[in-house]
Amino acid sequence: MMAWGGDEERRFGGSDEDEEELDETDFKTQKDAVLFAIDISSSMLEPPPYGNDKKAAKDSAVDAALKCVYQIMQQRIIAQPKDMMGILLFGTEKSKFRDESGTRSSYPHCYLLSDLDVPAAEDVKMLKSMVEEQEDPDDVLVPATEETALMSNVLFCANQVFTTNAANFGSRRLFIITDNDNPHDGDKTAQSSAAVRAKDLYDLGVIIELFPISRHGKQFDISKFYDDIIYRDPAAEAGSSDEVKTARSGDGLTLLASLISNINSKQTAKRSYFSNVAFELAPGLTISVNGYIPLHRQQPARTCYVWQGGEQAQLAQSETLKVDSEARTVEKSEVKKAYKFGGEYIYFKPDEAKKLKESLGEPDGKPIIRVIGFKPRALLPIWASVKKSVFIFPSEVGFVGSTRVFSALWQKLLKSKKMGLAWFISRSNANPIMVAILPSKNPEEDGSGSLALPAGLWLYPLPFVDDVRNVDLAIKPKNADELTDKMRDIVQNLQLPKAVYNPAKYPNPSLQWHYKILQAMALDEEVPETLDDATIPKYRQMDKRVGAYMAEWKEEVASKAKELMKSRAVKREVDDDDGGARPAKRAKATTKKPSGLSNNAQLKLAVEEDTLKKMTVADLKDVLASKGLSTAGKKVELLERVEQWVEDNV
Amino acid sequence: MADKEATVYVIDLGDSMADCHNGRSESDLDFGMRYVWDKISTTVAASRKTWTVGVVGLNTDTTDNEQEREGLEGYDHISVLQPIGPMSMTALRELRSKIRPSHTSGGDAISAIVVAASMIDLFTKKLKYSRRIILVTNAEAPIDDDSLESVAGGLNESNIELTVIGVDFDDADYGFKEEDKSAVKAQNERALGKLVGYCDNAVLGTMAQAVEELATPRIKPVRPFKAYDGPLTLGDPSKYESAVSIHVERYFKTKRAPPPSASTVNMKPEFGMSQMHLDDDGDVDMGGAEFSGVKQMRTYRVNDPDAPGGKRDVEFEELAKGYQYGRTVVPFSESDFSVTKLETKKDFTILGFVPSSSCEPFLNMGETGIVVAQKQNEEAELALSALIHALHEVESYAVARYVQKDGAQPQMFLLKPNPGIEDDFECLYDVPLPFAEDLRTYQFPPLDKVVTITGAVLTEHRLLPSEDLTEAMSDFVDAMDLSEASVDDEGRPAEYAPIDELYNPIIHRMNQAIRARAIDPDAPIEPPAELLLRFSRPPKDLLNKAKRDIEALINIAEVKKVPEKAKGRYSKKEQVKPLSGLDIDSLLGQSRRTTISPDNAIPEFKQIFATAADDATVENATKQMGGIVRRLIQSSFADLQYAQAAENLRVMREKLIEHDRPVLYNKFVTALKKSTLSGELDGDRREMWAKYIVGGRLGLITNDESEISGVTEEIAKDFLKAT
Repeated sequence: MMAWGGDEERRFGGSDEDEEELDETDFKTQKDAVLFAIDISSSMLEPPPYGNDKKAAKDSAVDAALKCVYQIMQQRIIAQPKDMMGILLFGTEKSKFRDESGTRSSYPHCYLLSDLDVPAAEDVKMLKSMVEEQEDPDDVLVPATEETALMSNVLFCANQVFTTNAANFGSRRLFIITDNDNPHDGDKTAQSSAAVRAKDLYDLGVIIELFPISRHGKQFDISKFYDDIIYRDPAAEAGSSDEVKTARSGDGLTLLASLISNINSKQTAKRSYFSNVAFELAPGLTISVNGYIPLHRQQPARTCYVWQGGEQAQLAQSETLKVDSEARTVEKSEVKKAYKFGGEYIYFKPDEAKKLKESLGEPDGKPIIRVIGFKPRALLPIWASVKKSVFIFPSEVGFVGSTRVFSALWQKLLKSKKMGLAWFISRSNANPIMVAILPSKNPEEDGSGSLALPAGLWLYPLPFVDDVRNVDLAIKPKNADELTDKMRDIVQNLQLPKAVYNPAKYPNPSLQWHYKILQAMALDEEVPETLDDATIPKYRQMDKRVGAYMAEWKEEVASKAKELMKSRAVKREVDDDDGGARPAKRAKATTKKPSGLSNNAQLKLAVEEDTLKKMTVADLKDVLASKGLSTAGKKVELLERVEQWVEDNV
Repeated sequence: MADKEATVYVIDLGDSMADCHNGRSESDLDFGMRYVWDKISTTVAASRKTWTVGVVGLNTDTTDNEQEREGLEGYDHISVLQPIGPMSMTALRELRSKIRPSHTSGGDAISAIVVAASMIDLFTKKLKYSRRIILVTNAEAPIDDDSLESVAGGLNESNIELTVIGVDFDDADYGFKEEDKSAVKAQNERALGKLVGYCDNAVLGTMAQAVEELATPRIKPVRPFKAYDGPLTLGDPSKYESAVSIHVERYFKTKRAPPPSASTVNMKPEFGMSQMHLDDDGDVDMGGAEFSGVKQMRTYRVNDPDAPGGKRDVEFEELAKGYQYGRTVVPFSESDFSVTKLETKKDFTILGFVPSSSCEPFLNMGETGIVVAQKQNEEAELALSALIHALHEVESYAVARYVQKDGAQPQMFLLKPNPGIEDDFECLYDVPLPFAEDLRTYQFPPLDKVVTITGAVLTEHRLLPSEDLTEAMSDFVDAMDLSEASVDDEGRPAEYAPIDELYNPIIHRMNQAIRARAIDPDAPIEPPAELLLRFSRPPKDLLNKAKRDIEALINIAEVKKVPEKAKGRYSKKEQVKPLSGLDIDSLLGQSRRTTISPDNAIPEFKQIFATAADDATVENATKQMGGIVRRLIQSSFADLQYAQAAENLRVMREKLIEHDRPVLYNKFVTALKKSTLSGELDGDRREMWAKYIVGGRLGLITNDESEISGVTEEIAKDFLKAT
């Protein structure tokens, strides 16, 4: 079967092109659902002790947790719009599970604050009022007085939420936030039934992540209870420690910051781009790796069509029908794929198309990363960039021993500043590309530390010669040593913080704005007027730091430029003199230098003396092309365009 | 936009061209036409009106040319096969029927060139064209060498480029010499050589070389595109007098070239369905004319509880545009729309500088640009030059914010200096950087140590390389160094696989195949050119040299393939345990499950299977699960419970494969198909079938997935297709 038609017809407007590069989002089970379970106890609600630090947060653990959830919810709407979230409070006096509430609830002291779903504006709104205005309209943030929630109930409640709302999601996780390391102290039965319910969750495919909070300097001891609840993912990378980090205030870090950092590190479900792919280092030496895309350009969501005929605005689901030139519906079986060629179509039968594609792949049709050799890093041209890289990490699933071989290669490439060169087919039937294999340093040794990029190997796509544009501009280096020296001072005095570009510090202004407006509209709030845009340089600071240098440098540039202009004018005269009649020489096919009127001064003169129209259409086009302007149209239009340019630029 | 071209091919169709020479199994004509067809089909593919082609036949049986009509002598057996004009598929097909060897050899090649030249003169007048004549001949027919100089003069005057490609011409540079060459041919070669010598712009070559060079993919030239023309600033010139502003221009350096894309087409109605089946016999000439493009039409539906199936169609006119915020739909009026777009001004401004060592290439998010100073602007030239050299000297890059034009999305760029020391090209290169939102924080364990559950740090472990392995890897990497694994034109060691040798395999593979099919629709698909697969494997010489190191590495690495999962129907598998190692089964054991509750179906089903000791237990559990699946579908309001039903089905399928009971599943899913499609599960359940079972790949278990299944891939496919 060919890979088109039906559901694969993504993209609006029915693009006619084969989208060669499927992203991981195309696999629908790759969706993530997270249910937050927040412990509501008196200690969780207690504000932190007053410290000396005025800036110290006054958040209770519950406040911090809710703030964190609120933040994450907003982020997920932008970054993972198809993913689900939910909030379950436990240990509350009140109980609520969907339609059931109070004593009728099957899960006493569990309060499903927001059911597992793709977040809606109301969810954001409710959380916002809770964290920003401390509102609690339903008095849910009240701990149970007499008895408290059974952890088995909490877990089974979560089980039901996942079973019904996110049945076929690829990733389902329960985030438990609590400061109580021993909820059923001494109660063996309660502990056992919790363990059984945890096993159910495991079998259901739900992963439990624990975010313990340590208070009053007391250690959170996970061996007391949670060791029976938490499972390791057997498919996780070998050697993964999956350590449980405890959040606490102190060390200049608020509880909120500490908790957010812990949760953020697990926030995005780890989605692999491919798994268990053969990485062939040499004939006879293959290991297995998984691939990930840690960097992916996030775009604002596309517009959709809305039907407002009902009580609530509703998304209109679209279906495509294929029609022929006479608007007759075309059956799927009639549809062929053909290539436009010389105004007609060139057709390959399905088996031929398949053969064409397969002929570049491996005999078994499987994906492959095959090393063809190594080179010094310096041989990677600085301009050689075409698209984002894929991160690979070893997996013992296909070959035992993969991790140690991978690690040895990683260390060697780092140490000797080398890179691998490989032939890479990411999926069966994907088109082969060439990649450089580059090692990333250990985050802690990186110095910056904050980049948060994992240590491992990256498949860095190399441009093919087909992708390289020949910009035919010979620009000889200028001799401007003094200017360079002065500029050097400026460069050295304007380093970015920590001398590194840390993407985390630069949110995408278009995206932020888009979602700010959207959020305001969705929540019926006032539309903001400005955006705090981190990508705008700190102009004032720049002026303060290097203003004097820059002013001086500019003056010097101006005077040097005058000299250069003069010397060029002299040279031009000399050229003109011995050249005699100018426009005779026709440039050879090498560099396409436009005829006589190539430079701006001459153009200007031509405009002033009204001699421009003596130029031929071809010459005018050359001039326009050299300025990067359109060369379409009649001679009159070309003339106008040249004149306009001269007026604007010379 | 492209330059205008007029090319006339002069093709020798003489009787001797039908013969095969020098051990080739194809005729001289077929051999030569490989070159010509390739060139002409490239022109067809471009479908540019301004690239025009004419064809003149030499040594044709008949005579058809202007000169002969005017009564000039010496123009016999020369026919204009195609007047100069744009090259279409139709013209290509017509031409194909005319390229046949004749029964004569009476034409004169030089006269044919004159015919071609006058065609060009007539067609191009004095306009700006690139003019070209390409002569393909085996030079076995006598050539009149009286007027070589004046013909060459004519060509020069008209600015016509001449290419003579001879079949089996001697070429010392290429290293070909034909033994036992006929005296006539030798003389003709000399004559043609002379002619070429008299021309300002002409080449003579041997066909073998031309054909060989066809294998080298041609790169589609693209005109430089100026993406930006304006100031590059340091500081804000509108607010601070000190701010620097350099007038620059930005072009693309890399731009991903897409492979040829297929269009969705169907047979034009007049060709009908019946003929479709003929193509298997090769009866229909699938030249392409019988296809027409398929368009897409969209229909829209909304949920409506009262409508059958829970959905109803709505007219496009009833819809407003909007965005989704989470699951909330936010309609936007036309006037609201522009508000969501950030207002930006065209801008290219530097935020600050970073040491180049802190910039890892894998942070690059896309294609590279080139930044140069505005032409003929001395101030800009000097200023940019100083910036480039300063960056180069202190080994730094600049980080800049780039807005291509008013209203465009801001991007972050890394600007890298190219001081033009090696390549005489002084510029900045820019690559796009990620924003905060583009970063996904995935956690991975460290690669150089192992942290145990208890927090102990190990540096020796089966997951970590031993010293021997580290050393063997180092030797291997060094032995496989490519930086001098190739040789340059002068025989010196050179870098292997530099970027200018990396051709995109799929682009050229498809182009080759499409062109081949356009020329000859009946020919089978040939294997890809060797050149395209050249870098799919390490170079052989290098492997031989590194043999010892490779073997040593393999021995020390001790990598073992994980065997296919050992399957045992009721073998005791290792039980999964929580961190504490608590044996949950023993907790469960007290009340061993036999019934499955619908609300905890998957865990309970799995737990029964994990401990099942006989067929009856498995069958019973499957039966219960099947019932649950059916009830979920039956009681589902619209599609609410479909996902849950599908997930249960998926687990059931997976476990039955594991337990070697495919037949049990296949029986169930066959019955389920009947039920969902017949409507017996309380309503229209076709969506469950199409979207969840077919789409979720939950069809029959094939013998590929389970050896004892009697279902082949074909049967499984048909099962999913048939409704």
